[in-house]
Parts: sequence; structure tokens; C-alpha cells
Amino acid sequence: MSSIEQRPRRRAPWVFAALAALLAFLPLVAGPYPQTIARSVLTYMMLAISWDMLIRSGQLSFGIAGFFGLGGYAAAIGATYLGVPPVLTLVFAAVVVGVVALLIGAVVLRLRGMYFAIVTLALAEIFRIVMHNWSSLTGGPNGMLLPRSAFDGNSVATYLMMLVLAAVVIGVSEWFRHSRIHFALTAIRDNETVAASAGVNIYAYLLTAFAITSGIQGAVGASYAQLFGFVTPESSFNVNYTLIPLAMTLLGGMYGTWGPVVGAVLLGVVGEYLKLFIPYGHLLVYGVIIVLVILFMPRGIVGLVRGHLERSRRTTTASEKGGAA
Amino acid sequence: MRSRTLLAVALVLVAGMAFANGAQEGAAEPIRMGGVWPLGDITGEQGSKSAQLAVDELNANGGILGRPVELVVIDSEFSPDKGAAAIERLATIENVDFFIGGMSSGVHLGQIPALKRYRKITMWTGAASHLAEEAIGPDQDWYFHLHPWDYNQGASYVEGWTAIAERYPDIAIDRWFLAYEEGAFGSASFEATQQLFSDMEISGESFQSAAAGGGDYTAVLERAKEYDPDVFIWAGYDADALPIMEQARAIDFAPPLFVGAPPGWPASFGESGLAEGVTLYGMWAPSLNSVSDVSAHYYQSYVSTYDEEPATYFAPLGYTAVMILAQAVEAAGSMDQDAIIAELQNIEYDSALGETISFAPSRVISNQGIRQQKILQWQGGEQQVLWPFEFATSEPEYPFPSWDR
Repeated sequence: MSSIEQRPRRRAPWVFAALAALLAFLPLVAGPYPQTIARSVLTYMMLAISWDMLIRSGQLSFGIAGFFGLGGYAAAIGATYLGVPPVLTLVFAAVVVGVVALLIGAVVLRLRGMYFAIVTLALAEIFRIVMHNWSSLTGGPNGMLLPRSAFDGNSVATYLMMLVLAAVVIGVSEWFRHSRIHFALTAIRDNETVAASAGVNIYAYLLTAFAITSGIQGAVGASYAQLFGFVTPESSFNVNYTLIPLAMTLLGGMYGTWGPVVGAVLLGVVGEYLKLFIPYGHLLVYGVIIVLVILFMPRGIVGLVRGHLERSRRTTTASEKGGAA
Repeated sequence: MRSRTLLAVALVLVAGMAFANGAQEGAAEPIRMGGVWPLGDITGEQGSKSAQLAVDELNANGGILGRPVELVVIDSEFSPDKGAAAIERLATIENVDFFIGGMSSGVHLGQIPALKRYRKITMWTGAASHLAEEAIGPDQDWYFHLHPWDYNQGASYVEGWTAIAERYPDIAIDRWFLAYEEGAFGSASFEATQQLFSDMEISGESFQSAAAGGGDYTAVLERAKEYDPDVFIWAGYDADALPIMEQARAIDFAPPLFVGAPPGWPASFGESGLAEGVTLYGMWAPSLNSVSDVSAHYYQSYVSTYDEEPATYFAPLGYTAVMILAQAVEAAGSMDQDAIIAELQNIEYDSALGETISFAPSRVISNQGIRQQKILQWQGGEQQVLWPFEFATSEPEYPFPSWDR
């Protein structure tokens, strides 16, 4: 009896994985337009996951756009002045941004709560101002063109590049969730004093999480630069790269990999389709949807589904116990 | 008997359907234009509405080559990736014949890889950055750019101010002060002004635009007042227009020439009482109706259709883009791309912007249209054209009136 009950639970991850794989590969046969939309969804999805990975420690960062833009510039500078091949600029940018985050994090991770959040917001602005004013290296306010974009802009190849990058980011996030880091970050979020007294090296764990998540944001920024072949201070450090991933995570659900994934897919696809039906005014409807969902589903969609499944499981168990009695 | 009747009815139905299909195939296929604008911004909203106005006019007169014209509009949301996705959709799902529209160099840079992939005839109304021109590159004969490049604009300001100073000897332009918003737009304007007017005395200081959370211009205005320039220019956004004038009045700063250089003005600026005597750059104003029949026709059609005034030059640019393509296709007599490109390269189109538009190579691309901005001035609540003199609708009001006006 018990083996029959457990079978659907074992099957569920495989069904979910098969569905995810189908969704991931669907744009490949659907044509260039769905591939472009899917690339955009994957971009925001990776930023949302990386933001969530840090918030699992309780540290709220508003610096996504800063590290994203810095990654874009690292890719452009690496390709232009150092001859780094297009795809390798993603790794190059991840390392550069990760190291920058490590150095900055060594100082700013002494801060907590709103102090840390405001510092990360300021960091994003500082990065933008540096790129804006270092004209001899970055092209100044006009920005710079990349010598050539990844796969010469081939939409199938660039989509696959983004898919592989997204798979890596999801893999890192899941590794976070199933490693000691997860327990350490959760303990820090729940009660830092208790975590410290239990022997958790808070500073080291936060620094590791900050460097890795910033490195991811840098790699995503580099991929964006490679997709479109340019960087400018205004577009690369656009505040949307901070706000949209936050909205996606809140919609999908925080403190896990799949909340940001679901939020990114839903908001990305809904946003695109809304504008086809309401060309003048779709952003208003989009905003209202986000507000309503966050108001009425504070745990996000994944949290809501999980809660529903847990409730139905408890009801089933209770009725079985009642029947047995 | 009954089965024969049924068979006859079925045959009639099949024949009818076949006829109906045949009639559909025989109907003229529409010529489709795909437009991308930022629809949440007045430039995109009015640019796209003006393009639709042109399409409606064409259809009312029998279309192009006897075929109806359709305009499919997608919002770029001021985002490079959304703008690129719009191009992909228009090319592969909407199957448009031409790309039109555009506003913002950043968005256009994101669209250029997709445009280069499809190589459909493109009539672009926005993007001034020379970086966009470099990204398009040479030998792209399908690409037609209407808006002047940044260096065209800068050169036209030098030409315009020099011509004005020569014609009106009272007007001094030797000492300049530029207040510029600290973003890309303002900083680039300051750099360009320093280079272009290098033989003159130039000073400047940045401010945080109200559009970026700023709005206090007192420090920069005080510095400008102390500098005592012949020409004071502020380069910011429409959100800065009213507060900068209010704060100039508060500190009694009234330079002989008070110039504003935002990409667009607030709709109510002319009625504010602060506008009188403010000089500006632009490509079109309703006052051009008095010197251009095409402008007057466009203006009246727009106002009667949408019950509002076009408030930005991107509006007549949208109308112009459609009309130029229509004229070229009619002249080519077919939808053959090479024939249309050849016609476009030889076209002379009397535009709603006043000038006759033709295309010639610029620094990089083969087909650059407009190369000049106009110098205008708010007078009596309306924008009057001061230069080029062939389109002038008024004399300059000089010096800028004192604040105890």
C-alpha cells in the first residue's frame, strides 16, 4: 500500500523535468521571434535566481543592475582590448565581476538590512558613473560596440547559449539549496546570533554568496552584451535589471530556485502578449497584475501551490487515519 | 431523387467555396508596414498615430499600386531587447514588407542585428547616435535614416547660430554656458558643444534631471548667472523645462539668449507664461503651416482625426516615413526591393517638416535623409521658426525678456 502511495511522488520530479525540457526546447522549433522572447525570459530568470540566492541569507541587494552592467562592460572591454572570444567573455565577465564583488563585499558585508541594500544601490550607480566618465576605455556616454557578437547573432545558437547558461545558474542555485551553504544562509536569515553561536562563519558564507551571485549577474550582463553587440551606460545599468527580477521573484515565490523560474516565465510571456492585444496601455495592466498577485499571493505562485499540495496531503492523511480508526 | 438533390446541393456548396477562395486569392494582398515605437512616450504615441494617419490617407486614395496598406505597430517599451523582439515578430510572424518608426539610439542599437539579418527596406525616424550609424555599417543599401545624426545636428547648430549672428548683429554668441543633465544625453551635448564651438568661450556644469530624481537647478543657475554668458543652454528632459524656468525666475537669471535643448517639451509649456522668448531646437512646429502646405495638410488631418495637437517632431516624421515609402513604391511600379531602393535613392519628397527630403551618403551609411535641426523660439505661446531662414516664421525676440516682464 505504501509503495503505491509513494510512486506518484517519485514520478513528479521527472514529469516536471520533462515539461521543463519541453518548454526549454520549444522555442528552437518555434522560430526567431519566440527565441528572442525566450532569451529575454532566460536573462531575467537568471538575474531573479541570483538575487534570490542572496536573499536566502536575509541580505537584500539592489545592486543587480550594477553587476549586470559591469559584466556587460567587462565582456566588451575583454573582447575589444584583450581579444577574448565572444563566448569566453561570459566566463571572463563572471570572474571579473566575482572578484570585484569579493573585494567590495569584504567591506560592505559588515552591513545588514537596509544599510546593505542602500549601499548596493549606490554601488550600481557608482559603476555606471565610472563607465560613463572613463571615456578612453569605455566610450563614455555613447558606449561601445563589440567587435563581433556571439555566433554572429545566429538566433538558434544564441538561444542555446542562453539555455546552457540558465541551466548552469539553475544548477548552482540547486547546489546552494542542497549544500551546507543553504543551511548556513537559512540560519543567518533566521537568527544571526544563534547561527554564530552554532559555529557558522557568517562573514565567509555571506562573502561566498555575494561573490557567486554577483558573478552570475556579471555573466548574464556579458551574454546580453553579446546578444546585441553593444554596451552603453544608460541601457547596461538600467534600473529595470534590478526591478523586473525582483518582481518576478516576488510573483513566483522567494527562497528557492523554482519561484524565480516560474515568475520569470509568467511575467515575461504575459508581458509580451499583453502588448500585442493592448498596444497603448499594456504596461499599466502589467503593473496592476503584479500588484494584485503580490497582494493576494504573498508567498508567490510556487508557495501557493506548495501550500495547496501540503493541505491536500494532510487532509488525505487525516481521512485515512479517520478511516482506519 | 433525394440523394441527387443532396449531391447537387453539395456540388453547389463546393463550387461556391472554390469561388470564394478564388475571389480571396484574387483580392489584392495588402502591403504591410511594421512600425516600432515606444508607445508609452509621446514621441512614440504620436509618431505611430501619424504613421496610421498616412496609411489611412493612402487607403482612402486607393492604396499603393492598387493594393491596400496595413500598419502593424509594436511597442519597443524603450528597451533594446523588446525593440529587437518587435523586429523579429514583424519579420517572421507579421511578414511585413517594410520597417518604419524608431526613437532612441539605445533601442535601435539592440535592433540593428535583427534588421541586418532580414535586410528589408527600413525607413528609420529616430536614433541620433553615431554609434548606431557605425553599427549599421557601410553598404547597407536597404537602410534609410531620416533623423539627423548627432554630428549633423551639432554642425547645423553652428551653422544656424553663425547665420543668425551675421543677420542680426545685435545678437552676441561669444560666451556660452551649458547646464547639462549628468546622463548620456546631457554629457554628450556638452562634449559636442565644446568641440563645435571651440573658438568661443564655453563653460558648463551638470545637474541631476528631474526625470532621474533631481530637480534642484539653483546651484548651476547661480554659477551660470555669475559667468554672465551671451548664450545659456540647458540640455535635459521635458521634466526639467518648467522647474528650470521657475528657478531661473526665482534668482532673476535672464541671459540674452535662454536656450532649451530637450528632446521634447511638456505639452503645457507654451501656455505657462515662462516660455516667452525661450529658444529651442527642433524639426517641426505648427507655425510651419504658414510656409508649408504639406505641413498644414498634415497638421489639420492629425488634429481632426485625433482631437489633439502633434506636440513633437517625431509625429510628422512618422507620417513622412510612410509617405516616402508609398511614393517610392508607386514610382517603382512593383514591390521589387531593388527597384524601390533605386527610387528611394533618387526621391525628392516635399515633407511636412518643410524641407524636401532626398537621401545621400553620410559618414558611414549610404542613405541619410535630414541633416539639419531648426532653431525655433517660443513667442506668444507658440514655437516660431528662426532658422533656416527659408522656413522662418518670425524674427528673433532678443534679448530674452527680463523676469519683471
